[in-house]
Amino acid sequence: MSGVAELAERALGHARGGEALVTVSHERSLTTRFAASRPTQATAVDDVSVEFAAVRDGRVATATARGTDDDALRDAAGRAAEAAAAAARGGPGDYPGLPRPGAPPSPHDGWDHETARLDPGVAGTALRRAFDVAAEHGLEAYGMWTGGEVRTAIAGTTGMHVLGAVTDAHLKVICRDTTGARSGYAAGTSRAAGNLDAGAIAGAAARRAAPGERAALPPGEYPVVLDADAVGLLLEFLGGLAFNGLAHAEGRGALAGRLGMRVAAPRINLSDSPFYPSALPRGFDAEGVSKRPLPLIQDGVAHRVVHDTRSAVVAGRGARTTGHALAPGGTPEGPVPANLVLVGGGARDVDELAAPIERGIYVTRLWYVNAVHPQRTLLTGMTRDGTFLIEDGRISRPVRDVRFTDEVLRILEATEELAARPRLVSEAEHYGRRYATGAVCPALRARGFRVTGATPA
Amino acid sequence: MLDVLLETVALAEGHCDYAEARRVDRAAEHVVTRNGEVETVDVHESDGIGVRVRRGGAWGFASAREPTAAGAEAALRRALEVADALPAAPAAPLAPVDPARGHWEGPCETDPFAVPLERKVALLLDAGEAMRGDRRIAVVQASCLAMRTTRALASTDGAACTQTLTECGAGIGATAVGGGEVQTRSFPGNHEGGSAAAGWEHVEGLDLAGQAPRVAQEAVELLMAPECPSGMRTIVLHGEQLALQLHESIGHALELDRMLGGEASYAGTSWVSPADLGRLTYGSELLNVTADATRPGGLGTFGWDDEGVPGQSYPLVAEGRLVGVLSSRESAAAIGLDASGGCARADGHTRQPIVRMTNVSIEPGDAGSLDDLVADTGDGLYLETNRSWSIDDRRLHFQFGVELAREIRDGRLGRVLRNASYSGLTPEFWGSLDAVGGPGDWRMWGVLNCGKGEPGQIMHVSHGTSPARFRDVQVGAA
Repeated sequence: MSGVAELAERALGHARGGEALVTVSHERSLTTRFAASRPTQATAVDDVSVEFAAVRDGRVATATARGTDDDALRDAAGRAAEAAAAAARGGPGDYPGLPRPGAPPSPHDGWDHETARLDPGVAGTALRRAFDVAAEHGLEAYGMWTGGEVRTAIAGTTGMHVLGAVTDAHLKVICRDTTGARSGYAAGTSRAAGNLDAGAIAGAAARRAAPGERAALPPGEYPVVLDADAVGLLLEFLGGLAFNGLAHAEGRGALAGRLGMRVAAPRINLSDSPFYPSALPRGFDAEGVSKRPLPLIQDGVAHRVVHDTRSAVVAGRGARTTGHALAPGGTPEGPVPANLVLVGGGARDVDELAAPIERGIYVTRLWYVNAVHPQRTLLTGMTRDGTFLIEDGRISRPVRDVRFTDEVLRILEATEELAARPRLVSEAEHYGRRYATGAVCPALRARGFRVTGATPA
Repeated sequence: MLDVLLETVALAEGHCDYAEARRVDRAAEHVVTRNGEVETVDVHESDGIGVRVRRGGAWGFASAREPTAAGAEAALRRALEVADALPAAPAAPLAPVDPARGHWEGPCETDPFAVPLERKVALLLDAGEAMRGDRRIAVVQASCLAMRTTRALASTDGAACTQTLTECGAGIGATAVGGGEVQTRSFPGNHEGGSAAAGWEHVEGLDLAGQAPRVAQEAVELLMAPECPSGMRTIVLHGEQLALQLHESIGHALELDRMLGGEASYAGTSWVSPADLGRLTYGSELLNVTADATRPGGLGTFGWDDEGVPGQSYPLVAEGRLVGVLSSRESAAAIGLDASGGCARADGHTRQPIVRMTNVSIEPGDAGSLDDLVADTGDGLYLETNRSWSIDDRRLHFQFGVELAREIRDGRLGRVLRNASYSGLTPEFWGSLDAVGGPGDWRMWGVLNCGKGEPGQIMHVSHGTSPARFRDVQVGAA
């Protein structure tokens, strides 16, 4: 931990004039991929980034150093300051200044020593187990194992000094037959690689690669059981479309004019909870502001949106940052909650959720989801690697992948029941600098799910 | 730049069957203005080394932030350690390649990093100001970016080459809010469509401020426009939307690693199999698609790919028939091709090369200009500027939404419609192609957000298109 802190302090020493914030991030990670029960790629990353943010007359500029030596740090500090000054020459901006130190970040246990070792042997063992289990089912395994450690230090001229270290691990297994006609998905995400049971995950994937001809489902509205992975992806989109404080302040957000109103079924309770026991915890945001749990939807009623420093200024009326900055000074896209937790309900499992459905579908996973009409939370996407018909209260047989085009808030409004045990789900898409996120959520049953197309056989 | 890399691959000799060391030195500047404010000024630099080794059938890759001999050697050791720890995979050949030697440099008339920041900010603020005025305009945004990437590659197969690429782009957008509706218009397109492998002269040529009033006016017009009705229609796609259609339903589908199942974990597979080469009818006889890593201005243009294979141009689809695929040395060898298609590309020094598009383009047809195409259409819909995109993991079932639709009545563009989308199946859709615009309206569209791989990699590619017409397409609202 001290390495990133010392580097941040050394870097801050190169800042000259005006406010400055330095963010040091040290990523160590290992990702191994596999296909047809053979390893295909393995990527080990050991990378340090040092980013300067400079503020001049309400303008913010950032610069990333090309190295960690003093020359590179001095150069980046100068570039950030020059860019902020150049932006300010066009007139003062609306950024109120970097946040002052507040309450220290809450402690968390999001760092695991064994995971941080990044022993490739652990990955190799997981892959072998997944391959064996797939073979026991007459299938081949495809997927990924990844583990990572990220140490972060933020130091600012305002006196801001925060430090954090987190680990994360993820195993995804897709079991397929040699033709690809049968495929089933399962995944696990945790703060600790030791919590990932490769045999159990591969077994779940294999069971979802059900034999038999996949039935075609015509377009229409169907009762649905969405497993946790599917729910998590919908919530991730909802986070950006509904709780983004900048979009809300500009009247573009899905909750514009709807805060305090019922927007979902009464049993929907959604929060941003960075210290929830199974979540991937975060102590502070990109401006060093401490995070804390925030209720977003309570008993179906929209409660609030989230802010960074800039969006709070745009919102006015006393709005303050809630610790959701994605970059110092904010981003044009606005702040989003990254630790969504949806409280569970009373159903034991997906079988119990399916029991009241006479004819409907069970969706294990969604794919290539995109916003069609952001303000309406209207999304489109596909199901993938395990979609099933529910008949007479039972998950009965596989169906071809379907396209859905539906509104997240409408699905939450139509939610009748949730499974009792939420679990951490993540897409583990580590583009750029590693920043592991995931939602903690249960499976749910909703009255209607709008299917608008299907893949051919 | 090459010395450390050559030393590293020399060290690797005897410890593995193949090794490559790559240094990537990047500089990027991104400026965003929003509602009259300078929202973002970000200057990003990085310099590091990635080392990839192959031992038997196993790959290992590791990166080092410090481009020093010590850093490269540590990365080599880690790459070998990782390759050793994984379950054994049967050895497989790599397609042969002549040693890549020399230096290549992309076009750049005006160095974008020499242009003062104040000038860039002024250009963006001017464009933003030209979109303001109507109280229903809630957000105006303008952005520009400049990137310069220098790569050096050495390999145990004799590669020792360097190359430098400069990229520039800019765009504007206006979002109108009113009557319970939100509508956005963009120029030149979504997905940083105004980007090219060029210098600052490219940005100056976009005339953002000149386009700004139209962009804002159309955003407001869309607020009150009727919803696009559903039904089977003839559609004419603007070049930018056609570029994304091409990207998603042809480009990705013809990546050979996907066809072989190697991307089933994430990006997916393909409805096309290697056995379809030379046999499959992909679309109508008007469909001619080329992969061209030599086209000036393309974001997928280079001297060599990240395996040292020269940039090249070859057909993927000729008169509707599948004749080529996008490949790397490993995937090409796996299906018995004589050589790689030169499509192995990596996102920076912390990622290893995977099969990516270069510049995948639809060659121009003989239907003339957009006006000619509309005049020849009778009744239909004209669809412009992508706003949403989704396709299944085999690249078969797709749905796209566009920012703006216009009716075509009696060969003329008519009223504006909002929230238009269309959907279909890849072979049926391309089979319904019955007119392709001519070379006068053909241009390259940059895509800066093409994601693939685990850990994720973002790649820059370009697609050349002119407007085109498709018959009997399912169209819907939103």
